[in-house]
Amino acid sequence: MKFLGFIVVCLTGALLLYGTGQFPAWGDPGSPASTHLSNYYIEKTVEQTQVPNIVTAVLADYRGFDTMFETSVIFCAGLTCFLLLRDFTEKKERFYRHRPTGVILHVKDSEKVLKVGKEFEHIDKDFVPSDLIIKTVCRILIPFIQIYALYVVAHGDFSPGGGFQGGVIFGSSLILLAISYDLKTLVERIKEKVLGIFAAVGVLIYVGIATICMPMGGNFLNYGMLAPLLPGDPRHVRALGMLGVEIGVGLAVMAVMAIIYINIVSEGRHDEGL
Amino acid sequence: MDILVILFLVTGLLFFLGGAIGIIRMPDFYSRLHPAGKLDTLGILAMVLGLAIYNLHHFSFESLLLSIKMFLIVFFVFLSSPTATHSIVDAGMRAGLRHWTKKKRKG
Repeated sequence: MKFLGFIVVCLTGALLLYGTGQFPAWGDPGSPASTHLSNYYIEKTVEQTQVPNIVTAVLADYRGFDTMFETSVIFCAGLTCFLLLRDFTEKKERFYRHRPTGVILHVKDSEKVLKVGKEFEHIDKDFVPSDLIIKTVCRILIPFIQIYALYVVAHGDFSPGGGFQGGVIFGSSLILLAISYDLKTLVERIKEKVLGIFAAVGVLIYVGIATICMPMGGNFLNYGMLAPLLPGDPRHVRALGMLGVEIGVGLAVMAVMAIIYINIVSEGRHDEGL
Repeated sequence: MDILVILFLVTGLLFFLGGAIGIIRMPDFYSRLHPAGKLDTLGILAMVLGLAIYNLHHFSFESLLLSIKMFLIVFFVFLSSPTATHSIVDAGMRAGLRHWTKKKRKG
């Protein structure tokens, strides 16, 4: 069996190597990838958009529709996760810990609710003792991660990066909070409603900026028409429009990351998990 | 200056090599985490130190700033790598994984 696998691997490798022989040479100006559209972007981007980075100009300006629908796909992913998994039934069993003594109470009656405060605290069913080292380090790291995420979003129109990456980094800082403390801490800090509103507002910012261009006299997503609304050099107006769009994308991605994580990890109950 | 850079880079490489060999050769889960957590952290310190000195060849405010940014990487790796190792060991202990002993267990 191992020998058979070896033969299959060798054959596949040989086929792939044979295929590379047909590739155009490295940097060949006559290759299909560098004959049609690329030249246009390279020649005209600075002239047409005044954006210093061609990659972001292509992504957010020339292919603005593509990025817009990507954002709405992300929003739909979060929405689907919520609709499929969210479970509003209250759990019957609850576990509390008496803080001064460490005694754990198992409450089976769903009517009885102990007041959580200085005396009692919620704990998960699979009791995980809080780890001081992990909590402290995560508490130090999370603000740095979030500042870096904001930096990536804010730099989105000038250097590679932008809303998607920044949103994912911000969302991962929220997930880190949930892992190092517990899920309740995260859900208390950012309410489920707030996350949902963030996800929707992010998409709305993108579509809103695109739509404002229309009454200003341009096409949908034609950032150049925003010039009278924005202060500063009118040549930078496309970069500013992209920045606004990236902020919307970042908000949506951040919220959707958190929604997906919370729903999957707690099976939709938002009470405990991992 | 160049000698110092080479010295630091070689030191870092040695630490990384030791870490890589240690991960393969160590007998069990916990002892493998030891080279993974420690040697990589020290290796990255030596490497980045060498690179930061190399970056200061043309001394200016920008290159100094870049070197300081490099040390931020070291700072975060120093914080996060041992913590990650600690939490993995913690999870292993809680899951009930026994540590390795020299005596061969029967069965």
